[in-house]
Amino acid sequence: MTVQKPGRRLMHFVPLHFVHKKVTGGGQRPIAAGLSLTSMIDFLVVTVVFLLMSFSASGELQVAKGVTIPKAQNTLDMIDAPIVAISGRQILVNGQPAGNTQAIEDSKRMQRVDELFNSLKQQREHWKQVYPNKDFPGVVVLQIDQDVQAVVVKSVFQTAAFAGYPNVSFMVNQMPHASE
Amino acid sequence: MGGVDVGGASGGRRKTDSEVNMIPMIDLLMVTISFLLITAVWSHMSRINADAQVPGPPRPDTEQTPQEPEKTLHIEMRTPDKFTLIWKQGGTVVSTVDVARRDNVIENNHVKEVHYPDLGAKIESEWKTTGQHRDATDKKFDQAVLHTDNETPYVNLIGVIDAIYTPKRDYGAGGKVEKMPALNVTFAVN
Repeated sequence: MTVQKPGRRLMHFVPLHFVHKKVTGGGQRPIAAGLSLTSMIDFLVVTVVFLLMSFSASGELQVAKGVTIPKAQNTLDMIDAPIVAISGRQILVNGQPAGNTQAIEDSKRMQRVDELFNSLKQQREHWKQVYPNKDFPGVVVLQIDQDVQAVVVKSVFQTAAFAGYPNVSFMVNQMPHASE
Repeated sequence: MGGVDVGGASGGRRKTDSEVNMIPMIDLLMVTISFLLITAVWSHMSRINADAQVPGPPRPDTEQTPQEPEKTLHIEMRTPDKFTLIWKQGGTVVSTVDVARRDNVIENNHVKEVHYPDLGAKIESEWKTTGQHRDATDKKFDQAVLHTDNETPYVNLIGVIDAIYTPKRDYGAGGKVEKMPALNVTFAVN
């Protein structure tokens, strides 16, 4: 960008010597400071590279409201599978209600959750219609609050297995290893 | 602004110096940074796997030969003061060892973490001595069965499963060797 001689300007008779004197310093140190573009662009490029490397195109899985996911160290990467969330006493399959845990908590005994069973079975049949030539992976991800009792966890686990999902994964927050 | 001086202005010819306009470049970088920051994912969700041990469909075309039952590691967490690790082969108890239970609970912003480092270390040493599937070419994994009472909070279950996955082994799949958890976890129904 070349510097050009300015043309005519309005109010040219107004003396602005004080501005010029202030900017150039008037014999003292000038207040106009130059910005080093090289270091700024270097910084911006490094930031862009870092953010691009940590960018995830798949987005983030939504955690159901009221569910606090525990943390774990020895984890695997998330996979695309139906998500069964236990929020309070309600069971959700991909965000849709599929029964509740009231009966299990009252009886303190493991039992099959029929609504969950039917919902998962429906999901499995839908998958088989969409991919008729593929083997069904049978994977389901459980999103369970940290304070839910083991009897509920085991009941949901068993219900999922009965519905044709033997590979059950528990969603956790990844925690770095102590050695890392 | 920024430019590149490549000479070539001699002899009355047009200069071949080129000048890069920095303003759109900085604008582009700023917009890219803004987009990446807005769409950034700072909490990383993962999973811990478990297997319901459902047998496959019967194969009438293949002859069934009786096989020796494999050793499985049973982890009892029904008592508040200890874990019991039991190696069983079928219905036979091979060995039993107790590990003191210390619930190392860390609560931060209502999010709890429970760690059992002693249990993880003991399971690793037990698997190294008794585990049957330790070779990288072995497609099968040793099984761990978790026995818990009905009132145990889920966060404690995750802490124990996390400890069970402490031992790692090499696993060769498709010519590529990777580290995998050495044990496969399932729940006992009783």
